[in-house]
Amino acid sequence: MGPLIPNGVIPIEWDNIIAILIGIVFGFVLEASGFSSSRKLAGLFYGYDFAVLKVFFTAAVVSLIGVYYMDYLGYLDITQLYVHPLYLWGAIIGGIIMGVGFVAGGFCPGTSLCAVAIGKIDAMVYVAGIMVGIFIFSELYPLFQPIYEGYFYGNVTLEDSLGINPYWFVFIFSMIAIVAFVVSDMVTKKVKKIFY
Amino acid sequence: MKKELKQKSKHIYWNPYYGGFLLGILILFTFYLTGRGLGASGAMKSSVVSIIESVAPTHAEESNYYSKFITEDESPMKNWLVFETLGVLIGAFISGGLNGRIGWRIQHSPKITSKRRLVFALGGGVLFGLGAQIARGCTSGAALSGMAVLSTGGFITMLAIFASAYATAYFFRKNWI
Amino acid sequence: MVKKKIAKVLAFRYKILAAILILLAGGLVLLPKYQKHEGIKPEELVSHAMSPERYMTTDRLAHILINQDPSFILIDVRDEKSFASYTLPNAINIPLEKLFDEDSESYLNQNQFDVVLFSNDNFHADQAWILCNRLGYKNLRVLKGGINQWFTTIINPLKPEENMPAAAHELYATRKAASMFFGVVYPEQVKVEAPKIVKEAPKKVITVEKKKKAAAEGGC
Repeated sequence: MGPLIPNGVIPIEWDNIIAILIGIVFGFVLEASGFSSSRKLAGLFYGYDFAVLKVFFTAAVVSLIGVYYMDYLGYLDITQLYVHPLYLWGAIIGGIIMGVGFVAGGFCPGTSLCAVAIGKIDAMVYVAGIMVGIFIFSELYPLFQPIYEGYFYGNVTLEDSLGINPYWFVFIFSMIAIVAFVVSDMVTKKVKKIFY
Repeated sequence: MKKELKQKSKHIYWNPYYGGFLLGILILFTFYLTGRGLGASGAMKSSVVSIIESVAPTHAEESNYYSKFITEDESPMKNWLVFETLGVLIGAFISGGLNGRIGWRIQHSPKITSKRRLVFALGGGVLFGLGAQIARGCTSGAALSGMAVLSTGGFITMLAIFASAYATAYFFRKNWI
Repeated sequence: MVKKKIAKVLAFRYKILAAILILLAGGLVLLPKYQKHEGIKPEELVSHAMSPERYMTTDRLAHILINQDPSFILIDVRDEKSFASYTLPNAINIPLEKLFDEDSESYLNQNQFDVVLFSNDNFHADQAWILCNRLGYKNLRVLKGGINQWFTTIINPLKPEENMPAAAHELYATRKAASMFFGVVYPEQVKVEAPKIVKEAPKKVITVEKKKKAAAEGGC
């Protein structure tokens, strides 16, 4: 019954080794999908390359369906998984700031690390920028504390907060993903090609 | 001939659906093994904390934020996410190496200078770092891993990131197209 | 010819993939729902129930108490009234109806101590044992025969007949010694005829740490 490490099936000492192995696969997949290129990433926002959307949505749908099937078959206990906590305004404001950072810098932290690994200097500057951002946040923490710690709703899932059946949600979400893929292909055809 | 082939393969990436499928399987596998999702900015936070701790230990202990991540016996770098991030670097290096994409360069649109690109990269990084702390996670930690378990916080963060990115994309268009 | 056919199929590859996706996602909605079985598997429960480790004899318990073995905690599953009138030294009272309270869980669900459950006989203790085992709690035992057995063997041991084997006499001697430890006064020790008094042993404070679970942590 999963998750294996919290349930002691795999000893906790393996945690860090598994972390490196998972990281290697994560980095490999991101780089091979082209996420080390900021211009490919930015294509999402200008409609000339929707690879990010496709990778992101496919990954979300595959993992969602996988998690629920494994839970159904009894291999994985969904209640033991870590659910990202909801700090409502923290999530919204943080998300908005990250969005601007995304368009301006052309990376998100995970993809910038991939780009650093293959020697992109802009990505290194970006990573340095992230660290400066974290530093600023930490120094001005008293200022941000109300939104960082306030509006806490617990580690809730959509099932808790919207009261919908998760299985139906997964189904609807998959439909949205397929529609998004079709639309994105149509948009790519209309937008002027950009070679990068 | 060979050089031409190499030049060509530089921009040949996996089919996005294939990459997405593998990424989804990886997230599933990560949850199955460890009960948690992937992450990226956490390791940078650990680095910042340990830098501050070694440069100004008293300041780090007094600060409300750093002190959360400092424990008596263990370095903040001895963290799951730091190891995972090391793996990301290795994995990306392997993939880049196999496809001949490794090399020092600054990638930017031909319409802008390298300097402008670097300035915007730095600014974007600062904003992203700040936002990731406020939202307690970045696109991989909060949005991608959160979505796999239907976390409300993850969905809200994801929507906020993409909404604001689309809303502001117009102002940065010169950098990219 | 074959190539052409493959190409024909490949032209629809995204539609096929989308169809697979819809099927899989739809499957989740249509799958019959069932009540999830919580706790350990029935087979595991049976094997625990068959295990000789399940019961503890009163002699062994007396030995543990006399040696003040710190690795055991005693849990009295009788009601509060019976607990107040008599219980074993250092026992903690968790009546059956309070078995699933949060306070009780910290005593029952931990890895530090071995838990010995007891009631008047082993009936209620056995029920508590089954319930806790089902939840996957570990290191649980039941006092064989409960307090009644404790009285007939330790507190008031039956004097063996002259013609019984030596082992029985030895056992009697140890039991008698044990009962003296638990405060029973024998007439041959004291000249005055005294009723058997059961003295309460000094209370020991048992602190139980909450079971540490390697909880899953956050991503970023």
